[in-house]
Amino acid sequence: MSAAGVAPTAVVAGRPSRDIGITLTVAALWLLLALFVVYPLVMLFARMLGMLGGRGSVDFGALLALLTDRNQLRAFWNSLLLAFLVGTVGTLAGFLFAFTATRCRLPGAAVTAIDASVLLPLVSPPFTTAIAMIFSFGPRGLITYGVFGLKGYTVYGLGATLFSEALTYFPIAYLTLRPILTAIDSNIEGMAQSLGASRWRVFRTVTLPLTVPGIANAFLLLFAASLADFATPLILAGNSFPVLPTQAYLQITGLFDLRGGAALSFALLVPALIVFLLQRYWVSRRFYVTITGKGAGQTPFDSVSPGGRIVLIASVISITVVVAYFYALLLYASLVVALGANHTPTLAHYRVIFTDGWNAIRDTLIIAGFSMPLGGLYGILLGYLVTRHRFPGRRTMEAVSMMNYALPGTIVGIAYLIAFNDPPLVLTGTALIIIACYVFRYGPTGIRATVALLQQIDPSLEEASQGLGARSGTTFRRVTLPLIMPAFFAGLGIVFIRSMTAISATIFLVSISWTLITVKILEDITELSLGPAAAFSVLVVVIVFVVVAGISRVLREFRAPGAPGVSLFGG
Amino acid sequence: MSGTAMGVDVDRVSKRFAHRVKGEVYAARDVTLRVQPGEFLTLLGPSGCGKTTTLRMIAGFERPDAGRICFGNDDVTGVPANRRNIGFVFQNYALFPHLSIFENVAYGLRVRGEPEDAITRAVSDVLALVGLGAHEQQFPAQLSGGEQQRVALARAIVIRPRVLLFDEPLSNLDAKLRVQMRNEIRDLQRRLSITTIYVTHDQEEAMAVSDRIAVMNQGRVVQEGTAEDLYHRPATQFVAQFVGRVNLIAGVVQTINGRSATIAALGRAIVARPSPCDLIAGDSVQIALRPEAIAIAQTSAPGSLQATVLSSVFLGDKVEYLVRCGDETLQVARYNAGPTTPLAAGTAVGLSFAEDAVVVLRTSRESAT
Ligand SMILES: Nc1ncnc2c1ncn2[C@@H]1O[C@H](COP(=O)(O)OP(=O)(O)OP(=O)(O)O)[C@@H](O)[C@H]1O
Ligand SMILES: [Mg+2]
Repeated sequence: MSAAGVAPTAVVAGRPSRDIGITLTVAALWLLLALFVVYPLVMLFARMLGMLGGRGSVDFGALLALLTDRNQLRAFWNSLLLAFLVGTVGTLAGFLFAFTATRCRLPGAAVTAIDASVLLPLVSPPFTTAIAMIFSFGPRGLITYGVFGLKGYTVYGLGATLFSEALTYFPIAYLTLRPILTAIDSNIEGMAQSLGASRWRVFRTVTLPLTVPGIANAFLLLFAASLADFATPLILAGNSFPVLPTQAYLQITGLFDLRGGAALSFALLVPALIVFLLQRYWVSRRFYVTITGKGAGQTPFDSVSPGGRIVLIASVISITVVVAYFYALLLYASLVVALGANHTPTLAHYRVIFTDGWNAIRDTLIIAGFSMPLGGLYGILLGYLVTRHRFPGRRTMEAVSMMNYALPGTIVGIAYLIAFNDPPLVLTGTALIIIACYVFRYGPTGIRATVALLQQIDPSLEEASQGLGARSGTTFRRVTLPLIMPAFFAGLGIVFIRSMTAISATIFLVSISWTLITVKILEDITELSLGPAAAFSVLVVVIVFVVVAGISRVLREFRAPGAPGVSLFGG
Repeated sequence: MSGTAMGVDVDRVSKRFAHRVKGEVYAARDVTLRVQPGEFLTLLGPSGCGKTTTLRMIAGFERPDAGRICFGNDDVTGVPANRRNIGFVFQNYALFPHLSIFENVAYGLRVRGEPEDAITRAVSDVLALVGLGAHEQQFPAQLSGGEQQRVALARAIVIRPRVLLFDEPLSNLDAKLRVQMRNEIRDLQRRLSITTIYVTHDQEEAMAVSDRIAVMNQGRVVQEGTAEDLYHRPATQFVAQFVGRVNLIAGVVQTINGRSATIAALGRAIVARPSPCDLIAGDSVQIALRPEAIAIAQTSAPGSLQATVLSSVFLGDKVEYLVRCGDETLQVARYNAGPTTPLAAGTAVGLSFAEDAVVVLRTSRESAT
């Protein structure tokens, strides 16, 4: 190789870049991250300390008073308790499903049915189960009032919120645990058995310990999801069980106290950040490599006794039935005049959402339509740069990009509200603020998919292209991009799903000119027009299902032979 | 360990699996094996012939659809793996990644509820035996392939199993280590005299370690015997081709008298000892000749076959020739006693071989894969 020739390609993780295209892209990404991630959080912090909003001085007294207020303290502990319980119950249910799907020798159709039933909660707005809870157990609930004739019974409180959130979020645990259980080499379990261990002992001493990192991971994911969820408690927690995200929301929309809302949401940040760091940097290091090369058993280990199998399958079926019942009820409620009072079939609710609600539908689709490609592009660009190129601040860039994703939506929403309400950048009332929120909050899923995919692809492929004289732009387009297309579509899919279903951040960002279906559903619920709320929910589920099916199809098409796969929801 | 080794009887065992296209396939069909106490038996066969399936049924991981399996006088056919008292070594070792080497080896003893000090002693002894005394506190991921292999071996023998089962234990190791480990396994088995069943598709490995070898093809045992039996007296064309290299030459039986037969092949009458005894004159047969059983010489002695060298490959210890003899192309190997120059292509040569080097096989449609 001549001195002027290609640099030696000994570096595996990446190479220092001198390419102008790379430098410009990095600079542009930093600018965007500074604007849409760092700046809002700084403004939130400043507002909380009271430096903005007219007073000009730090007012710790008022802040302290708010944060030590008995009600708010209770809300704080309630949030943690709820998150802990949702984490525990949801992980248990997820493990039950994953274990049954992987170890009970179920026929393929049964596994597909399980997958479909866990997909439903994943693709619907977070409070769909909450609406179904009200239909079933509310003041005129189908079960409490209709079946048992109870009057004045209230579901509202910890129990209902826990139930609804666990049902909504347990699929995350299922999706986390299933690949781990599948990946355990059945010979390892067979080995334990041949050494004399009973089925139960194999489970206790081999299967379970090997799954522990996954279980911890699932628990933390659910903990974070519950901590951030504000819609479910808003509907179901009632007055007796205040939680922080709802308190922050009420502080802002009810009392118009932006600073108080900022402070309350900030209190959420500490546990959320701890959980995120634990999950990212501690648990993820503890996974075992359980597949050890050629010869992994083709026959799954027979780990369940016939009796145990019946118990497992029965439990899975009962949970599936509950999920199916809730969604069937939602569909039914959208098709009758008033569930619980008048069961005459009608399409009136759909007429309402396509007339009065049309703006919300149109806005949501436009916003999702813009967020989707932008989020997908952002994901692969950033993911590619941080894994394949070395530039100053590369690790920091990755960490910063994860922030909006890791923080509860309430914090992000309030931060955007504060930051973009005043000059220099006034975005309040535009669609852009919502799109930016979605791109930077859900794009990171695409980043993680890209990073994971690129780590499995040998850098020598790209080095070969460079060795043939291609510039990094060409290499990216001709070699890397086709290989990471699956990550692009995975990122795209997640951004779309979230754009259709999310509410916790964007409820602070909607305006007269731009609103969202999810916000409309919430308004309908608070106005007790449950029929249209149900119809909206059904519509969202249908749209998301169709788009997800389409993207999954494209994902399969795009998977180059031999390239590692990426699933839309896994990981 | 226990001086009373135990035999294994596998009696007409079959196992079917559902198959996408064919509906059902037999992975093992009427497999019968009689393993003597303390014996080292190897199941040898090409990929997919049912070796693993047979071994897994002996271990109890798989239930046979028909047949019986006995350890000594115990019928264990319906007994689950955890109550058979066997030691199993997997191709990929299947070490517990979350347990230290010590705990991996101790696992079976803990399951048996042995006292702590007995466990400590037994584990240290067996790890010393396989030469891993210093690695007790490490984890599987920190060991090399060969070391992991030894841990797997230690873990299997520490429980003093009635039967030791290996499924291609060496195929993840490089060539040198494979030879070293197979000798270690053989020595250990001799020393402990544990009845052992070993699966491999490598015929050299099978010959090196076994007392006896059972060759399998398409779910059946096609021949059983010592390495010498299989190599010198293959019963079928498949065995002849699978164990070692062989020239198969078409021929027709001319006369049979007593224990010798005359076969018309290679354009002349070849006298041989027929292995199928029910041949009659006029049967078409194949004769099998090992490459190294053919002597090749430039000066053609009286009675030798005339042939022409097509090509030669120098391999250090031997030269391999392809020669043309009549209508047949034959492989011939000549071992080098000292420095030699291979015969050039086109050289006219004479071939000869001993009468008892010729094996007569019935022509069959069964083919080697
Ligand atoms: N669980 C199973 N389900 C379906 N078919 C199976 C199963 N296990 C084995 N088979 C089939 O049975 C046949 C024998 O398989 P087996 O694993 O015993 O072969 P093998 O001799 O061990 O091969 P290899 O040398 O490749 O390990 C194969 O055709 C295989 O596809
Ligand atoms: Mg096998």
